[in-house]
Amino acid sequence: MNADNNGGNKRVRTIIVAGQSSERTREVLRALSGFTNVIWPTSLESALAQTGSKDAGCLVIADDLREEPIDEFLQEARELQRNLPIFVITDPDDVAEAVSAMRHGATAVIEIPPSYSALCEEVSRALQ
Amino acid sequence: MKDIPQTVFVVDDDDAVRNSLRMLLKSAGVHAEASASAQEFLSTYEVSQPGCLVLDVRMPGMSGLEMQHELNLRGATIPVIFITGHGDIPMAVEAMQHGAFDFLQKPFRDQELLDRVQRALVRDAEYRARLRHTDRIRERLASLSPREREVLDLVTQGKANKMVAGDLGVSQRTVEIHRAHVMQKMEAGSLAELVRMMMAVSP
Repeated sequence: MNADNNGGNKRVRTIIVAGQSSERTREVLRALSGFTNVIWPTSLESALAQTGSKDAGCLVIADDLREEPIDEFLQEARELQRNLPIFVITDPDDVAEAVSAMRHGATAVIEIPPSYSALCEEVSRALQ
Repeated sequence: MKDIPQTVFVVDDDDAVRNSLRMLLKSAGVHAEASASAQEFLSTYEVSQPGCLVLDVRMPGMSGLEMQHELNLRGATIPVIFITGHGDIPMAVEAMQHGAFDFLQKPFRDQELLDRVQRALVRDAEYRARLRHTDRIRERLASLSPREREVLDLVTQGKANKMVAGDLGVSQRTVEIHRAHVMQKMEAGSLAELVRMMMAVSP
């Protein structure tokens, strides 16, 4: 991946994925690495550290983090980067969690399984 | 100025739901008004009315989400709690992205709704109090003369009277007099308070 893939001399923005996700979600997220950096920090702490970096383009919170204190994590990420787009991938039935995520700073919530086009559209808009 | 009491506006096309919500709110000591459609509500609602809104998503004619859009166009800041029996994530996300306070799926427990209504009323009251505070500051700012405003801008940038005098080409004594007037007109007890006031009205 080089800077040209992201438009001339523009800085490459990084998608940070917190959590490992289901195989389907991973496939979609891997596909996004065709046009930008995608990194998979090994822990939430590490994801937060990356979120604070100047190259952070957006943060994707993957669906295997449902048992984690997502709201707290979201708030911390939001405090680190007020304008960073943050996407949460979650169960289609869990409207309450989606609402809670939005209240705590998510930009949008995407249902499992995320379609490539839906995620790509959101992420592309976020990186612009 | 006497405060207008808060009202919980309920907009739902289902008579049974509308009436039970009104009774529930009344039993909790909350003043409630109900409308059977978005159009009915919008024809009488004024954005200066404090309170919150409990709004059904699916209604014939204008939907709850369309009504939220219309309220946003009117500059309304009233907290909106959506209620729906057929909610999904895209619908909830859209409502929240457009500023909804909450999104509640039916069936819900009475207490669940009352808790959310209370939180929404607190938020609305806090927001309107902040608005009144900034309005008062703007009124005081408007009472300053152009020279006093210049002095205010420079002292709140942290400049000492001597520097302000140099910048404006006047004597230090003149700056002191203007500064005293600024403090008096702005009703500020200290420079720190003056800075806080300016921060509260800065864009």
